[in-house]
Amino acid sequence: MGNYLLLFPVFFPIICAFFMPLLKKQRQKELFVPLMLAFEILIVFIISFGGFKEIEVWRISSLLSISFSNDGLSRLYSCLISVIWFLAAVFSMEYMKHEEHVERFFMFYMASLGVLMGISYSSNFMTMYLFYEFMTLATVPLVLHTETHDAIAAGLKYLGYSIFGAGLGLIGFFFLCIYGSTTSFTAGGVLDPAVIAGHENFLRVVYLGMMIGFGCKAGMYPLHAWLPTAHPVAPAPASAVLSGIITKCGVLAIIRTTYYLFGVDFVRGTWVQNVILVLAIGTIFMGSMLAYREKMLKKRLAYSTISQVSYVLFGVFLMTPQALCGALLQVISHAIAKNALFLSAGAVIYKTGHTYVYELKGIGKQMPVVMVCFTIASLSLIGIPPTGGFISKWFLATGALEVPYSGIIPVIGIAVLIISALLTAGYLLTIVSDAFFPGKGFDYSKLENKEPNYLMLVPLMALAAGVLAVGIFPSGLIDVFSGITQDIF
Amino acid sequence: MKENSMLLAFIVFFPVLSAFVSYLIGRKNKTARNRFACIVVSVEFLSACMACFGTAEFSINGIFALGINFQSGSLRSILMVLASFVWLMTTLFSNEYFAHYRNRNRYYFFMLSTLGATMGVFLSADFFTTLIFFEIMSFTSWVLVMHDETENAIKAGMTYITVAVIGGLVTLTGMFFLYKASGTMRFDELSVFMSGVEDKTPYYIYGIMVLTGFGAKAGAFPLHIWLPEAHPAAPAPASALLSCVLTKTGIFGVIVLSTQIFMYDAKWGLFILVTGTITMFLGAFLALFSINLKRTLACSSLSQIGFILIGVGMQGILGEHNAIAACGTALHIVNHSIIKMTLFLCAGTVYMNIHELDLNKIRGWGRDKLLLKIVFLQGLLGIGGIPLWGGYISKTLLHESIVEYIAVLNEAGQSAFLFKAVEWIFLISGGLTLAYMAKIFTAVFVEKADSISNGNKNQHNKYLSGTSAFVLICCGALISVFGLFPNAVMGNIADMAGSFMNSHGMEHAVHYFAWVNLKGAVISVIIGAVVYFGFIRVFLMAKSRNGHNTYIDLWPKWLSIEKKIYRPVLLSLLPSIGGACANIMNASFEFICSKTVPAAGIVCENVLNPSFEDLYKALYFIMSRAVEFVSGLMENIFLWLLIAGVIVIRFFKGMYDYMLQVVLYLFFNYEEISYEGKRNFRKDAYFSRFSVDKYGEERGMRENLSISLMLFGIGVVLALLYLII
Repeated sequence: MGNYLLLFPVFFPIICAFFMPLLKKQRQKELFVPLMLAFEILIVFIISFGGFKEIEVWRISSLLSISFSNDGLSRLYSCLISVIWFLAAVFSMEYMKHEEHVERFFMFYMASLGVLMGISYSSNFMTMYLFYEFMTLATVPLVLHTETHDAIAAGLKYLGYSIFGAGLGLIGFFFLCIYGSTTSFTAGGVLDPAVIAGHENFLRVVYLGMMIGFGCKAGMYPLHAWLPTAHPVAPAPASAVLSGIITKCGVLAIIRTTYYLFGVDFVRGTWVQNVILVLAIGTIFMGSMLAYREKMLKKRLAYSTISQVSYVLFGVFLMTPQALCGALLQVISHAIAKNALFLSAGAVIYKTGHTYVYELKGIGKQMPVVMVCFTIASLSLIGIPPTGGFISKWFLATGALEVPYSGIIPVIGIAVLIISALLTAGYLLTIVSDAFFPGKGFDYSKLENKEPNYLMLVPLMALAAGVLAVGIFPSGLIDVFSGITQDIF
Repeated sequence: MKENSMLLAFIVFFPVLSAFVSYLIGRKNKTARNRFACIVVSVEFLSACMACFGTAEFSINGIFALGINFQSGSLRSILMVLASFVWLMTTLFSNEYFAHYRNRNRYYFFMLSTLGATMGVFLSADFFTTLIFFEIMSFTSWVLVMHDETENAIKAGMTYITVAVIGGLVTLTGMFFLYKASGTMRFDELSVFMSGVEDKTPYYIYGIMVLTGFGAKAGAFPLHIWLPEAHPAAPAPASALLSCVLTKTGIFGVIVLSTQIFMYDAKWGLFILVTGTITMFLGAFLALFSINLKRTLACSSLSQIGFILIGVGMQGILGEHNAIAACGTALHIVNHSIIKMTLFLCAGTVYMNIHELDLNKIRGWGRDKLLLKIVFLQGLLGIGGIPLWGGYISKTLLHESIVEYIAVLNEAGQSAFLFKAVEWIFLISGGLTLAYMAKIFTAVFVEKADSISNGNKNQHNKYLSGTSAFVLICCGALISVFGLFPNAVMGNIADMAGSFMNSHGMEHAVHYFAWVNLKGAVISVIIGAVVYFGFIRVFLMAKSRNGHNTYIDLWPKWLSIEKKIYRPVLLSLLPSIGGACANIMNASFEFICSKTVPAAGIVCENVLNPSFEDLYKALYFIMSRAVEFVSGLMENIFLWLLIAGVIVIRFFKGMYDYMLQVVLYLFFNYEEISYEGKRNFRKDAYFSRFSVDKYGEERGMRENLSISLMLFGIGVVLALLYLII
């Protein structure tokens, strides 16, 4: 029985999703989603704090099977995803009041959660790939939701990029089947040294292809372009989870492929590591720079995501325990902070309709709580103590200097991290400063309290508190991460 | 060792917590909030006094990942008491100053949290702790700078935060390297580590990186640009805090670097000395031209920071015999804080009453205000280095340290030209200090009021409340006490500070009032008088129509590094270069795809002349090869899936487009989809143009879907159906 519990978080939300259209009364809808999600959190935490579990649902062949397990990474991801999903859902209860087809939105929203849980808990590549494709299919409707011309174009762009990226991943999988002993995730890699002898560089090309393919979801150059198109058109809670969580699933796929399939030793110190490091570093810079020059708030945040998720990839590709620890910290702090930012942006749009940054002068006087949360999240993205971003940056940079071979690339990476932090300050602090210090020309008489209600405020405050908590008390998390890294290295 | 340890944590965290409490109180009752703030800073001052004797340590492990460590004793204690004293005085003064301000709650909240952060910096025992509180302090004090919300204040605030963020980040980078090299962040361990290092070249680079943030906060050249703007823009009590305490957090970092990490290092010392000399002269020079009361004081702060940096630099140069320089540095820190606080609060009194700071408008306002005049005069004499007032003692020590090294060099038969030059610049800057102070003193307290400009404003009988007057008297009196009993008061402070800076105590007592030492002061006074009467009164003042003298604004704008270099480079040049790179990178992939893929399609079509059929045959061929290749290991399932996929592609190609249209129509009310130009469509149909061109994006995307979505998406949907059934 205990092992069957693992199926629950995956299939429960999907089943709930099918019930959504059946609910007719407004009151039922309002209660149903948060209650189900809260229940989901409960189960996820029970699983995470219970022992190791593993279940094979269906064995297709000797190599392929659908199976789930909860190792360290799964626990981390499932807890993070379920909590954020719940908070964003509470926020959407209010936000979706000015959108139509609410039940359709929540249907796909719930289904996506189940799929994401599937990715987190999957214990071999086949399962992960299956849910990875489903993640795209389940989240496209969230992007399409507003049904405007832009939204549909963006949704299709998102779909095309994702499928193409996942396709690259699938190609790699064919080769893994040949060269690996198994396709279950095994810390340290599955490659069979006897089989790969003589084909190393070829396999590294395949690895590069997989990284680029999965990098698509994580917004890594060259397949990043869907992000700034898809995020601004989606409803705010959807862009929040797209930006905060879905991109991280690309990262998860990359971690699984790198550390659990190919193995660190196969990649570390080779040309392919340099290539992917350069791609990640380039993306960090590109994202920040484009965000700095962007005037539309949500698009700016989307570019910011490109840059911030590549911080994570930078840490993952460095392949040192410290850097991986930093990367996982960045996964958490960025997921929380970016959700806070997108939800704040959503609250602003919901209450005022402003979408451009220059329209936000004095908004801090009208929506103080929202903008304070925005500020705290911004500080985290820049990496200012006492927020989570600072700690993750510290680990990333010290991890970069830990790289065993002496190369210039990690040092360049640190420099780019710093430049990007500066640009981040440039594109977020200006908003904060305009919001709270509109200048003497600001018309105080038009000031009215536009603070949204508690359905919006509480998730925001919880996220802001989370950002601070990760920054001030990261020790517990770091213990978990060192458990994960110990397995791998 | 550990006796007072909890007290240290209390000193750091108590103000931060009470900041929240004061905010909550302030929402209900403003008077109660003011009283509460006063109580908090008083408690803070008392606990700082309690903690200042002896050394205590306190650490919390696990918090902020690496844990934080506090330590008290020596220079830390002095700075701690000093900071809490300045805070106490300014908070008492704030009550009256802010009586008619908006957003006072915000001010008190950030004022108190800045206090906690500042204490965290001063008490920190490792660089990690320093950095954390340093960054927090930068951001909380940012709000204080911008508090007025005038255009000026916001501009100054942005400059301030930009410099602080850049400085903080560069410091952070330096710390990464230092941490990597040494494996520790604790000052004492770093000090031990550095003494064992043979080749210091890379460490100088790391050191300079770490120095950047601290130097920026201290206002050292060339990162001083924020200081003359931010200090005047803030409300007077906040300017006092910025000038007296926050600059000292920068100095604290510089001292740690110079006296612990680069202990007795002459090269490093010389670097700091040169920076200090430039800052000192530049500040004094700029102050001459200013016609804004607070701006003059801010420039003066710049100059005094230069004096302190010279002391720090001389400590490195003098090596182990640096007692004089160490004492001078510590004492000048104390003196400058007390004096500058006095002066800023006086300026605050002026502003509070007539809301003007322009010398031409406030002229003569203080003629009949005896108390203010005396207190301001105390500040003037103190900062000008006149014997019997505080500043004289520290300046003499600093001067002595240069003279001593010149003597050492002469004995060794080396050229002392550089240090002679530094000595003269030192004396000249001292003279300029007197000159610009004389300028503002005469303007405010001596010259007759301009009857037109502020005649009626003089009628306020009561220009100061009791508390504020008490604050001013306290500050003024302290300056005298420091100067009158140099050995009793200042000697003790110097002794206390010495051990932090690794100095070994004075080899001989300094006779402050011996002619040798008085000579420097006399030279400065003479230079000051010459500059005041020969330059300021001649070139910087003009007769206006009604016969009065007016001060001309000759602020040297051409000298502004900010406008000439920093702003253009940081705001235009670098973003355009970076933006161009980023844009090229952003568009490159799509551009390449949009050019090469259709071209490849055309080549295929014209050279190989494939049709739909051919392409799918080729595709089928490739796929079946791949499947054959894999199938041996994979036992059929993927073979079937792919065959099914290919069959689906072959049969449902047209169906798919239709379905997509129907789906979009049904679920998304989307009617605008229609094919235009079938021929075009065929030409590059097979390959995605992942491009975002103006009209073709959505079509290109859909055509791309024809292949990739059908192959993978539908394949997987079928896979799932298959699995479920």
